[in-house]
Amino acid sequence: MADKNYYTIDPLGKLRCMKCNVPLVKGKARFMYLDNGFPVELPVCPSCGFVYVPEELALGKVLAVEKALEDK
Amino acid sequence: MAMEERSTRIYRQQQMLSKEALTEIENLCIHEQPAYCVAACPFKLDAKQMVRAVAGGDFAKALALYEKITPFVHILSAGCEAPCEQKCKLCEAGEGIAIHELERAVARFGKSPKNKGLLRFKKRKSVAIFGSSLFSLFLAGELAKKAYPLTIYCDEPDAAAFVAAGASFLDSDGLNAEVETLQSMDITFRFGTKLTAQLFEQKKTAYDIVGASPRLLSGFWPGFEVDEATMLCKEVQVISTPVGAQGVLASLFGAKKAALTVDRLAQNLDPRSSRGDEGASETALITNMDSVAGSCRIHCEKEGYTKEDAITEAKRCIQCSCTECVKGCVYLQHYKKYPKVLTREIYNNVSIIMGDHMMNKPINSCALCGQCAVVCPNGYDMADICLMARRNMVTTDKMPLAPHEFALLDQMFSNEEAFLCKPQPGFAKSKYVFFPGCQAAAIAPDTVRAVYLDLSSRLEGGVALLLGCCGAISEWAGRYQMYDEAVAFIDARLKELGNPAVIAGCPTCKKMLSQHYDGEIVGIWDVLEEIGLPKGAQKISRPVAMHDSCGARGDAHTQQTIRKLAGKLGCELVETEFSGDTSPCCGYGGLVMYANREVAHEMAQMCVNRTDAPYITYCMACRDRFAREGRESRHILELIYGTNAGEPPDISEKRYNRLMLKNGLLHEIWGEEILEMTCEFPITFMPEALKLMDDRMILKEDVIKVMESFRETEEAIFDSESGLMITRKRIGNVTFWVKYEEQDGGYLIHSAYSHRMKIDSSQ
Repeated sequence: MADKNYYTIDPLGKLRCMKCNVPLVKGKARFMYLDNGFPVELPVCPSCGFVYVPEELALGKVLAVEKALEDK
Repeated sequence: MAMEERSTRIYRQQQMLSKEALTEIENLCIHEQPAYCVAACPFKLDAKQMVRAVAGGDFAKALALYEKITPFVHILSAGCEAPCEQKCKLCEAGEGIAIHELERAVARFGKSPKNKGLLRFKKRKSVAIFGSSLFSLFLAGELAKKAYPLTIYCDEPDAAAFVAAGASFLDSDGLNAEVETLQSMDITFRFGTKLTAQLFEQKKTAYDIVGASPRLLSGFWPGFEVDEATMLCKEVQVISTPVGAQGVLASLFGAKKAALTVDRLAQNLDPRSSRGDEGASETALITNMDSVAGSCRIHCEKEGYTKEDAITEAKRCIQCSCTECVKGCVYLQHYKKYPKVLTREIYNNVSIIMGDHMMNKPINSCALCGQCAVVCPNGYDMADICLMARRNMVTTDKMPLAPHEFALLDQMFSNEEAFLCKPQPGFAKSKYVFFPGCQAAAIAPDTVRAVYLDLSSRLEGGVALLLGCCGAISEWAGRYQMYDEAVAFIDARLKELGNPAVIAGCPTCKKMLSQHYDGEIVGIWDVLEEIGLPKGAQKISRPVAMHDSCGARGDAHTQQTIRKLAGKLGCELVETEFSGDTSPCCGYGGLVMYANREVAHEMAQMCVNRTDAPYITYCMACRDRFAREGRESRHILELIYGTNAGEPPDISEKRYNRLMLKNGLLHEIWGEEILEMTCEFPITFMPEALKLMDDRMILKEDVIKVMESFRETEEAIFDSESGLMITRKRIGNVTFWVKYEEQDGGYLIHSAYSHRMKIDSSQ
């Protein structure tokens, strides 16, 4: 279970970190909310570690999980 | 005050109400009380549901309800005296429902399913009934239903004669049907038994419990006495009924009491104890007949209703219930629950320590407007329950911050950045202070300015100005500490002004301030009524509707004064349903528009659907909510001062308006130079972005902060698919993301979104 990822997005080479000028890669990150943590795989800059949360994810799954946790 | 977001999964609990207090409140709700006809029936026949089934043409369902009373439906329907009919509420408006005739129709047209339920295990204790009578027949029906091994001893040669002996009034169809019913029961018959006292004594010992017809018993023991509560003849331990007890109702009621006694005896319990509620009762139900037109019964021939006539008659039934609170309350309509159930679910939600709090959203979706307390015959106040729950959950840290954070930050903005409290220039002390309220300043700053200039020129003794929030937002959110701070802050400022008379621009502010401020508080409407309207007042030339503010509920004086002012303006007012004290909320109250946009929208829709006319309001939030729904609406002060706030501002403009009002007045009236905060770089918003931001509660200020952060950190990504750059910044409890392109040394904003989750990339 430790390796389980709740969500995975592959940047597919379409995203680039402006600061480091390198493509974003699929990398490990962790969502934290109200003392809960979820390992996920999101587009991450391999150099500076910038993690990108796409609009669809923020307004979709992330929002739904936020609401569920608020009512726990 | 910093708002720290914490987990709501916390082992902390505080009782919201004692069990007794909860029950007392729940008992105020009479929705579950039986209908008048049901309470009047000694057998508690659910006549309301039965008539409803007939109205829907479902005679089988109606019969199933009727058969719950007795399997001998033809006997009951032929001889029932129908005490329910006199209690029918429709009697007050016209003729009551012909329930008795409908029962006859149900008995004739209803079809029972052939296989009735599951096989039931027979009870261990055996029962015998001696002698024929209506009582014996009904008792047999009751005991067969309860699955007692039952034997019947009678003189009669067969079942038909046994039924006829008890119910001689039946016609042949009825008789045949009841014989068939009797024969379908698992009963052992000893027909043609010569019933002598000797035989009775001899046979009865073979059974655990014995019943007898009153005629037989009086033959054996003349003058025998039956206890009317238990139907037990104590001397001989036989169940029967008094000889004089005749008629279908009395016999069936006696049989039901006797059957309960059999149960008690079979369990070796005292037959007099724990018998529950027997017989007809009074109901506490209140059904509003104001909008019910009286009608006459459908004529019934001697042979009874046809199916069609029965349906037509049943359709006259108004299905008595109390739904007064639901009629004008979108919140109760939305959740399809009435206060008793909602209160219990909210109580449970507050009481659980772990597990899903399913009622958090409903708790935060009540407008706290108090309409229910006015329309409920017993004054049931859901606002009180919801506010109590919110406060309780704030106390135990179980209330999530997310639903109310934006509004709470807005209150802080009103009482910090946008706050202003100044005496009139040239006056050391103030006789008055104008307190327009945060929404007036946010939505109609020009109107606030015009009112202040007018008041300070026409009133003597100095009119101070206080731009801020009365604390209603934190009060509604249940954040009582923050409310107490707001109250202390406002009271301190008023004290500095010399405790002047407050002229409130908003009924809710007036109500809130009056809870703690010792000085005089009046509404701007009172002042204008006294000093007269200023020049330039205008009217809406078409008929207009008045929407009463929920802040003025129970305040007839304010409601009437506003109408007088509208009259002085020359406005022609149209009547609307739910006006005055029964006015519904626009959707702003109780912070519904922050916690549940869907319900808030439905609330505003209900208000605008009451009339086609333009609205006059005396609360700026109502004006704003109706304008957002596309209805022309004006605050009465806009008409009085000839101003027009125009299209409703978005959330950023609401803040901007407050700041600009403060700065503008500081400059214009107090001659203070204000250093305008300017953005160091050009920033432009696409119209779609502004719309999204308003929907998503993202301020322009937030976006500017994100871009400022980007200019420092240069952290952003480029999406080759959309050709846009994307950056982000965490502000407080929220991460804001901005999609933009660079333009003229600045930024063109395409979209913005946010989430409350934190992202940790350190793994």
